[in-house]
Formats: sequence, C-alpha cells, structure tokens
Amino acid sequence: MIVKQRAYEAKEALLMPALYAAQREHGWMSPEAMKSVARALDLPPATVKGFATFYDMFRKKPVGKHVIQLCTNVTCILSGSEDLLSMLSDKFGIAPNETTTDGRFSLVAMECIGACGTAPAMIVNTDFYENLTKESIFSILENYK
Amino acid sequence: MNLVELTINGKTVKAAKGATILQAALKNGIYIPNLCYDRRLSPYGGCRMCVVEVEGQKGLSAACSTQIREGMVVFTETPVVAKSRKAVLELLLLHHPLDCPVCDKAGECKLQDMAYKYGSTSNRFSASRKDEPERLDSPVVERNPNRCILCGLCVRICQDHQGVGAINFIGRGFKTKISPAFEETLDCEFCGQCIDVCPVGALGSKTYRFMSRVWYMNEEEMICPYCGCGCTTNLSVRQGKIIRGRGKEGVGINDGDLCGKGRYGFDYIYAENRLKTPMIRKEGNLVRASWDEALKYVAERMGSIIEKHGPASVGAIGSQRCSIEDNFMLQKFMREAVGTDNIDSAARFGYAKAHKAMEKSFGSDFMPIGWEAPLNAKFLLVIESDITSAMPVWGLNFILARNNGAHLAVADSKETKLVRNSSQWIRLVPGTGVALLNGMMKVIIDEGLYDKEKAQGIQNFSALESSLKDYTPAAVSAITGVSEDEIRNLAREYSSAKSRLVAMTSGASENIKSLNTMLAGANLVMLLGDSPDTLQIPAEFSNTLGMWSAGVRPAEQGKEMQEMLYAKDASLKALYIMGENPIVTFHDVAAVENTLKGMELLVVQDIFLTDTAKMADVVLPACSWAEKDGTFMSAAGAVQKIRKIVKETGEAIPDWEIFVRLSKAMGKDLGLNSVAEISAQVSEKLSTLGKNDLKLSFNPAAYELIENSSSEFPMLLVTANILQHSGALSSLSRNLDSVVSDAYLELSPADAEKYKIINESYVKVISKRGEILLKAIISNEVPEKTVFVPIHFAHAKVNTLTYPAVNGGIPLVPVRIEPA
Ligand code: SF4
Ligand code: SF4
Ligand code: SF4
Ligand code: FES
Repeated sequence: MIVKQRAYEAKEALLMPALYAAQREHGWMSPEAMKSVARALDLPPATVKGFATFYDMFRKKPVGKHVIQLCTNVTCILSGSEDLLSMLSDKFGIAPNETTTDGRFSLVAMECIGACGTAPAMIVNTDFYENLTKESIFSILENYK
Repeated sequence: MNLVELTINGKTVKAAKGATILQAALKNGIYIPNLCYDRRLSPYGGCRMCVVEVEGQKGLSAACSTQIREGMVVFTETPVVAKSRKAVLELLLLHHPLDCPVCDKAGECKLQDMAYKYGSTSNRFSASRKDEPERLDSPVVERNPNRCILCGLCVRICQDHQGVGAINFIGRGFKTKISPAFEETLDCEFCGQCIDVCPVGALGSKTYRFMSRVWYMNEEEMICPYCGCGCTTNLSVRQGKIIRGRGKEGVGINDGDLCGKGRYGFDYIYAENRLKTPMIRKEGNLVRASWDEALKYVAERMGSIIEKHGPASVGAIGSQRCSIEDNFMLQKFMREAVGTDNIDSAARFGYAKAHKAMEKSFGSDFMPIGWEAPLNAKFLLVIESDITSAMPVWGLNFILARNNGAHLAVADSKETKLVRNSSQWIRLVPGTGVALLNGMMKVIIDEGLYDKEKAQGIQNFSALESSLKDYTPAAVSAITGVSEDEIRNLAREYSSAKSRLVAMTSGASENIKSLNTMLAGANLVMLLGDSPDTLQIPAEFSNTLGMWSAGVRPAEQGKEMQEMLYAKDASLKALYIMGENPIVTFHDVAAVENTLKGMELLVVQDIFLTDTAKMADVVLPACSWAEKDGTFMSAAGAVQKIRKIVKETGEAIPDWEIFVRLSKAMGKDLGLNSVAEISAQVSEKLSTLGKNDLKLSFNPAAYELIENSSSEFPMLLVTANILQHSGALSSLSRNLDSVVSDAYLELSPADAEKYKIINESYVKVISKRGEILLKAIISNEVPEKTVFVPIHFAHAKVNTLTYPAVNGGIPLVPVRIEPA
C-alpha cells in the first residue's frame, strides 16, 4: 500500500477558506488570527502557520485600507506595468509591499492575475481593472478613499 | 499477496504489487540513496536523491514515488543518475553549513555520506547561508535550522505517524524553517521520533549534545525497561556508560519507533540514590554492611520468625520491572526455602484485574495482546484508556488504523492524544465506561443485533440479559452524560462493523476502570460472537506479564496484596520486597506505612534507596536491567533478552543471585545457580501457558462507584499515567524529568472559576484520607467536576488520597479543592 487512505473528514480541506475568512476579519494573518483558525478547526497551530506562510495571498503583516495589487508578470510588464508601478510608488511614497503612512493604500507587485489579454491589469481589494493607462489608474484609485 | 517481477540493475527481483521502486529495491538488498523517504510515511518525492533510470521512460523517475510494474527494468546507478544526484547535492550544500566537526550527526549523517559518494568539492553557484540561532530552549530536543535540508520527514512523522503535529514548515522558499507555530519554545510530547528521522544534524537529542562522536560508541540492542510494549531501544555506550537511546528501522517489534521513555529514560540507572552496598539497620540507622553480614542477618531473622510464627507470617512482593528469572527465584525462594504462598505484586491493582476478567469470561489463563490487533479491525472501541500514554508505541497502531480508514471511537472523559486522533469522541463522565458498555449491550440485545446462536449458547446469557434491564439508553445517558442517540448509534454501528476490537489499559494507578469495566468489555465481545482476542488489555510494564507468569501471585491459599498490606489484623511479621516501592506507588499510603512499620522484619531489595527502603531493616542492592542478563515478557507475550551491557553499580548483584545466596545462607539450596539454569526451568513453566481449552461465560457487571462525591467532597479525582513517565521508575530519569518533573492537578476552566483557582497557583486537595498540595493547571482537556492528577512523583504523595481496589467497583476519589 503506498498511499495511506486517511478517512477524510479532513479538516485540512477547510484551512484555505478559514484563513481567508480570518484575514477578512483581522486584516492580515496575525498570530491571533492563526490561533483562532487552529482552534476553530481543531488543528495544530503549527499546521495552520505552515499553511498560511506558504501562500502569498495570506498577508504576513498589517495592510492599508485598500490593497492595490498590480500585476508585474511578463505580459503586463511588456504593456507598461513597470512604469505604472513606479508612478504609484512615487505618488504614494512607498515601495511595493509597503503601506502609506495614512494607512490608505498598500502596494503589492503581483504575479500573473490571469489577464494577459487585457494587460496591464490590477486588482484593488477584490475589484478587477484591466487595460490600465497612466491616466485611468489614478482616476480609478480616486474612488478608494 | 500479489507479486510483481522486475529487474533492478540486471537482477530479477520480486516485490508486492503496489510497492514503489525504492521499497522493492530496499527489500531486495539494493540501496538507493534517499533523503525524504520513511517506511512509515506516504511517499513525498521532495529530495530527488532517489532518482533512477527506468527503461522506456523519458527522464529520471523518483524511486520513492514510482510504483513498480511487471517487467519493469530499472537502473539505480548510471552516469546520468549520478550526475543528477550530484547536482541535487550541490544545491543542498549551497545552504548547508559545513560544520561537521562540531555536529553530533557527523559519522551517521546521510547528507555527509552522499556528499562523499556523489558530491563535488566545488560549487558552481553561490548563495548566502542561513544564520538562524540554534534552539536549545526546549527539553531533550535541540534544533539547528541552519543544517536543515527541508526534507519534511520530521514534520510528517510528527503529524502523520505520531499524531501530534507540533512542528511544521514555517515560511516559504529559502527562508523556510522547521518550527512550532510562533517561534515559541517547542512544547510537545517529546518522543524524539523527529530526531531519529532527521537525515542531518538539524534535530538532535539535547541530552547527547557534544557527548561523543559516533565512532567512539558501541550500540547495544536492549529491551526498553518501561512499558509492556517491549520495544527494542538501541543504546549507545561510551566508556562503560549509556549516553544515548534511539530507534532503528527493522529492529524489534517496534521497528524503530520509540517513545520518549525508551529513548531518554535509560539514565535512571545513574540516579544518585542508587544502592551500592547492603545496609542493615543498627540503632535506628541504616549502615553499610558486607553481603555476608547482611545475608546472614536476613537468614537468621527470617528463620526465627518462621520458627516463632510459622512460614505463613512471611510475605513477599515481586516486581514488574525485574526479569522473569528474578521473579521466578523470588517465588521459588519463598515457596521452597521459606514455605509461604503469600506472594503478590503491585499488579494486583492493575493487570490482575484484566487477568481475572479474562479468566472468568473466557476461562483463559494467558491472554497476551496482539501487536497488530488494532490494524486488523474496522471498528476500534477504546474504553476510558489513554493507550498512547500507557503503551505509546502500540498506541501508534491505533492511530495508524484510523489513518488507514478504520473507525476509532474513544470513550473518555479527558481529551487525550488518542481522543485527538479519533474518529469519534464519546465524552462521558469519568468512571462510567462500564455503564456505557452495558447500555450498548442493552440496545444490541433489544434490537436483536447480536449473534443469537453463539451468545445464547454461552453460560449465563440470561443472567446477562436480566442484569442489563436497568441500562436503558435513558438510564445510561443519565449516568454517562452521553446522549441516548449516541448510545444507540454507537451500539448499532459497533455491532454492524465488519471486524471489531475493544481495548483498554490495566494500570494500577488508574482509577476510572475496574474489574467490572473489563468484564463488561468481555461480555460485549461474546455477545457479538467475536473471539476472545477481540478484547485487548495489555499488561502494564516491561515484565508484568513475565512476573505474573513466573508465579508471583498466590497459587493456593496465600494472601493477596490487599490482605498483606491493608488488612487490619497484623498477621504478617516479615515482608520481603523486591524492586517495588509501595510507599510511593501503592494507594492509601497511610495504611501501607502503618503495615510496614508493624513488621518485625522488612527486607527491601532494590536498585535505589527508595522511600520504602528507608523504612527497611535490611536493604540489599540489586543490579539494574542493563547490568544483568535475563528476560522480560512483553504484553504481547514475547520473551525477550536483556543483557549486561554496563558494569554493575558498587557491590550490587542481580536479584536472582541474591536469592541463590540467601537460600544457601538459610541452609537450603534451590538448586539453580545461573541465569541459564533458571531460564531452562522457567521456560518449562511458561510453555504450559495458554494451552488450556477456553470456556466462555458471561459475567454481569454493574456500574458502581466505591465512594461517591458528596457536598463535602464534590469533585472526583482521576489518577493516571502521563506519556512521559512510567510508574515511579521514570521519575528517577533526569532526562525525562526535564520534560515533566512534578505532579500537577488539571481542572476545567469552569471549576477554576468556581473555586477561585488561578492557573499555576497551588491548591489544596482534600479527601477523607488526607490532603496534599499541588500546582493547578487549568485545562480544556478536563471535564467539570473532575480533577486529573498524574501519579508518578514520590514527593507529591498523591497516594495520601487514593485507596486500593481489586474488584468491580470504580475507585474514584471524592475530593474538595481550595486555593492554598
Ligand atoms: S519530539 Fe515527537 S512530538 Fe515533539 S516535535 Fe518531535 S516528533 Fe513531534
Ligand atoms: S529538521 Fe531534519 S528532518 Fe526536519 S526537515 Fe530539516 S532536515 Fe528534514
Ligand atoms: S516505554 Fe513502552 S512504548 Fe516507550 S519505548 Fe519503552 S517499551 Fe516502547
Ligand atoms: S527519497 Fe525520493 S524524492 Fe526524496
């Protein structure tokens, strides 16, 4: 027998959604958030932490009110996302993975978000924007106070 | 078994269908390097060291995660394979600190060995090395994250095999490290299994840190001195001293698994209170004496007591920790040289109940457990027993069974490790397991779910049936706190399972079960027409079963333990105690103390100057298990050798030899003068065991508490074993004491609030027998109205509160707690 069949009432399968829920509530993967997930799912904290620190979409530190996730993968770069990124950096005075002092924005340089056909693209919080230009990107962000 | 034939390196080999190339190769003596494979775990395919060439297959295949096929042609060492392995090593060595000169693993490190074989001396790449601090803050386990190659074996053995999950990969990529969740001090069960699987020096035994280099040591295979599993631990000896224990694949019934006791507990033999010479009490003090003097003294005093009061005024206590030979000679000496049948042991309060239950129910005089029994059942029902604490490695088979898809139902009041690894936790009121079993049987009979033909043919069926009439689901629910539906469903599911197992432990320190619980278990087994070995109750310690089988128990009219130590009339005048410490391990210490004080002659033969020895008239120093030859019988009935691997301590001699000399001093020759001669006679005796025909009989078993809680004593004290200790012996191991070294009292948050008790503060625990002080630990594992206390520690004197029980009632202890 090479693969042991664990009788799956696998709590592990719930980890991903639970971590998302916790992140929504706590804003990031704080130790408290992870502990509460471990308690809720009755899993060892080490398992939860191992899982949460493996995936990039779980935030390792607190973020601003709005999270700008700009794609910097190949297609987006070819379509100008590098320029967009440095514009955003300049305008808000933060490097990628930093948060503005007023806590309004966090800037994240993303890997592919699956929008190569309409590059460059970004996700703000959970909203999706494509075909970005130097002009459109700022007017979009105006909507996020 | 379906066999598949394949060729590896030109050699035709056979292996079981479903095996991997790596398994097939190893089984046939062909080594394939591997860094992330372990026989106990699912394939991982992480390290890529095991790559091989498979004919007709593009690229290389990972041998650990490729199944064999009929006619497969595999090459394990080709230039392409070597090149690939070399590249893997090159990448691993990029980060790995080359600190072998100060690494305890050097000399038995897989990475080192492979680097010698395939590695290059230069590296084409460069990268920064990790510079994490070593973690030495936890007991027994040390971690050096810089040496870690992220094979994941430790994480997986801890979670998937050990059922703990204390550590994990934290972070990702280069920064990943193995750690508990939040960089906190590792706080786990400290089995050390992760240390054994670590291929490099990233995890190590702290107790062995900088103690030696591997090539300076001899490794000796020894039977573990602690529990009834009878594991083989591999002890490294340097300059006459044992400095390390570890498990080894393929060695012993445990096949390399060990718990913390087997791995770290060996150092009890180096405790400071080891006895080095005989001692005789003179003017109130124990003073050094020569062997001749001491034996002459015992012989004379014993002789005059026999003369004055008759041989029946002498009693003896044997030891579950001494060898079969030692115990055999104790009883032979008592029966033949003294002429008394008053011979018993602490097992009277433990394994004797299991024995009695099997004898009454099945007519069997010898029922060892089946090591693999848990793996052969589809539904495992564990009644109020923390099997993973009492029998840690056998307990792993329960977790494995569950991981393989069996249903593991654990009825327990406390959230034990087994509960955490169960499929179903039946949380009942402590001590009510017997009621639960009766309730299940009632449902099974009422709904006609039993094996009518078989069960009705068994003696006492109608008595069983009528005894169950009060155990309706409603009544049982009221007693156990388990809902009626859960009782019904449990009964239905258990009785309809394809194959079944009922398991419980028989520890003398446990007070939530009794003879009746075991009888009820046996009744359930017979009711469903299952064979007697469906009930599995292991003998507790390393040689409990051997001692028992060697005849350390009354054969005729001799007194049992409770009559010897707790009877009001002081008919015993002399007591001979071998390797037992009643003052610490027996219940109701006041009564025990009283009896011992009343003895005209108290002889204690031990390896330590125990609290009991301190009361003796004569103390005789014996060799520990590693200082003598002999045999132990495991709970599974295997007779296994222990050997003299280190020199005796001081003038100590083996227990059996003391009896040889003492009988001669009394002018009687027992006729046996060596281990070999004794063994020959014992094996004759042992060979008759378990040969009698079984005779089944139901024994109605009621639920009753011997003492009930009251307004004065509203809580029930539960005593039991904890995983890191075993009886009182292990508390003399410094290594194990570094994990847990003191008794404590666990209580629920609700009770803590009710009685105004702060976590880690001291509480007074009062029963009608006395009071003690313990540190309180507030824990969600414990239900309300219950306090839990481990029994291993002499100074805690938990046995001030408890009382002995040998029959059917449950000996829970009503207590009251107050902040101290
Ligand atoms: S010592 Fe045992 S419980 Fe602790 S981390 Fe290692 S494997 Fe897990
Ligand atoms: S600590 Fe050892 S066993 Fe664990 S991942 Fe690292 S190298 Fe492997
Ligand atoms: S205490 Fe028991 S389970 Fe642990 S190593 Fe010793 S024999 Fe094995
Ligand atoms: S042993 Fe096969 S990949 Fe590690």
